[in-house]
Amino acid sequence: MLLEVRELQVEFRTRDGVAHAVNGVSYAVDAGETLAVLGESGSGKSVTAQAVMGIFDMPPGRITGGQIFFQGRDLLKLREEERRRIRGAGMAMIFQDALSALNPVLSVGDQLGEMFVVHRGMSKKDARARAVELMERVRIPAAAQRVRDYPHQFSGGMRQRIMIAMALALEPALVIADEPTTALDVTVQAQVMDLLAELQREYRMGLILITHDLGVVADVADRIAVMYAGKIVESAPVRDIYKAPAHPYTRGLLDSIPRLDQKGQELYAIKGLPPNLLDIPPGCSFHPRCPMAQDVCRTDEPALQEVSDVRGSACHFWRECLHDRDH
Amino acid sequence: MTATTEPILEVDGLVKHYPLTQGILFKKQIGAVKAVDGVDFTLYKGETLGIVGESGCGKSTVAKMLCHLERPTAGVIRFKGEDITRLSGRALKAVRRNIQMVFQDPYTSLNPRMTVGDIVGEPYEIHPEVAPKGDRRRRVQELLDVVGLNPEYISRYPHQFSGGQRQRIGIARGLALRPEVIVADEPVSALDVSVQAQVINLLDRLQSEFDLSYVFIAHDLSIVRHISDRVGVMYLGRIVETGRDAEIYDHPTHPYTQALLSAVPVPDPEARDHRERIILTGDVPSPTDIPSGCRFRTRCWKAQERCVREVPALAVPDVFRAVSGPAAHDSACHFAEERQVVPAEGEHGNGPG
Repeated sequence: MLLEVRELQVEFRTRDGVAHAVNGVSYAVDAGETLAVLGESGSGKSVTAQAVMGIFDMPPGRITGGQIFFQGRDLLKLREEERRRIRGAGMAMIFQDALSALNPVLSVGDQLGEMFVVHRGMSKKDARARAVELMERVRIPAAAQRVRDYPHQFSGGMRQRIMIAMALALEPALVIADEPTTALDVTVQAQVMDLLAELQREYRMGLILITHDLGVVADVADRIAVMYAGKIVESAPVRDIYKAPAHPYTRGLLDSIPRLDQKGQELYAIKGLPPNLLDIPPGCSFHPRCPMAQDVCRTDEPALQEVSDVRGSACHFWRECLHDRDH
Repeated sequence: MTATTEPILEVDGLVKHYPLTQGILFKKQIGAVKAVDGVDFTLYKGETLGIVGESGCGKSTVAKMLCHLERPTAGVIRFKGEDITRLSGRALKAVRRNIQMVFQDPYTSLNPRMTVGDIVGEPYEIHPEVAPKGDRRRRVQELLDVVGLNPEYISRYPHQFSGGQRQRIGIARGLALRPEVIVADEPVSALDVSVQAQVINLLDRLQSEFDLSYVFIAHDLSIVRHISDRVGVMYLGRIVETGRDAEIYDHPTHPYTQALLSAVPVPDPEARDHRERIILTGDVPSPTDIPSGCRFRTRCWKAQERCVREVPALAVPDVFRAVSGPAAHDSACHFAEERQVVPAEGEHGNGPG
């Protein structure tokens, strides 16, 4: 296994109290595999990824439990210096908003080349040549001229491709893409996702795709982990989940998206609001919004139960949920 | 939603150019950002017209001009047959009451220092004839109730609400003056998926309850299909294809619409296998330098000599003029042809024609 996150717990100390952002998340990614982590804002999907990368601010953040194994080593036991060597070369991240993730006062060539200077000890000139190669690799036209340009001189789609180039520069074994296409227009989204999928196949990288968009997930992922209130509530191969979700939250999400190929009547809407992380409901954290909730859901927290040997659901009534869909 | 044939809003040749100038003392115009470059459409009473397009296509500028937040460079906007384009003073104020806007970002469109009651009640300060002073608090509470918020929240501040609740506040403010037309500019794109559906359903319900006509602007084609009776697809400042929702989604004839539809991820891994993807190359050209002839030709796989020379008109293409099917709708393409890109759903038995 390339990456294995075990029972990760993260909290943030805020003025109003302790926000429990991640509450015992476990997932694994193998080389060449794409895991989609699906969730709404505040579900903990990005924080988990940032913990894997080791890039969130501590304090106010704190990892209070769990392990993160990457290529057999527990990252949380490593010194910062060792982790820095892994970041970029072993694992890399693609951020949502390329404009704010790139440095506005450095040319893209300098930023791409920096990777080779710092990690590989190359000369500036060689690094520049590699930067041009990378830009060609992600299909930026006239790369040799544009290597001197600054981020603001590129369009949104091209900036995101430069982010991808930067992430792939040192051919890492694992790439984490946090909402890589959310800020882009649909026609450009398709270009960027296609490029990412192609490069992943070529380098046989493990890919964690963090998103709130069920459509993007269906197109590229092998497995899905659905997160809610800092926990994984359902984990399954992508086809299984779309055919028959085993958790009412997943089902609600699927039913609440308008479909391009259907003109429906009223949209299904999950009632209520996502929980406040300062005050997560007892029992199953989804129970106040769940159409299937019963007394046991208000008191007993469901563990991630085995639905089949490849999928799990954290719902007391996953059997009923699965069955409900079959009608 | 009972759409009638009575036009409530008519837009004719609408243009908005922002001048680009050089020099500090002696400003010289050296060009223009052609944000909107000749848009025509009609909104009928009780219907929803969806306008879709990518960023920079001018859809938000159209919305602003409809609400008189931006003055058109040329063109005419008619409300119930009356030209409102160049109104000012009292006449403008009266018209504005009838055309209200719901904004995209519920975090920046509400004043953080005002209470919900003040925000929703502010329209009454400007149009006191709608609600007498003593009656306002009750009216605001009614509005909060209508949009699904607890009327007791009237003295809370925007930061005490979630994104979806804030958008409900924005909608309540839009409804305060009992307008006939609501222009909604990306009203749900800043919201989480599970909350989007709640707001869309609310808009749907309010439409029948208050007899509203909507101009619904969005970049998300699935949402636009869900809520719209008719759809216009915009590209670089112009509408390139327009028709009833089934005509656009099931029988698109303009290559841009086809590409746009094929690029939308369908949340169903089974469907993705037998689905054709059209991936456009390149980016949208700059609106300061619009290509000659057909403005889509630089990204179009069908472009020919004629597309460079001749601007295609937005009309039913010649090839479809003889047939009266769903493909016969307005499409601004010299080489329009039907191509099904959204997989047809078996459960809806809508045969051809």
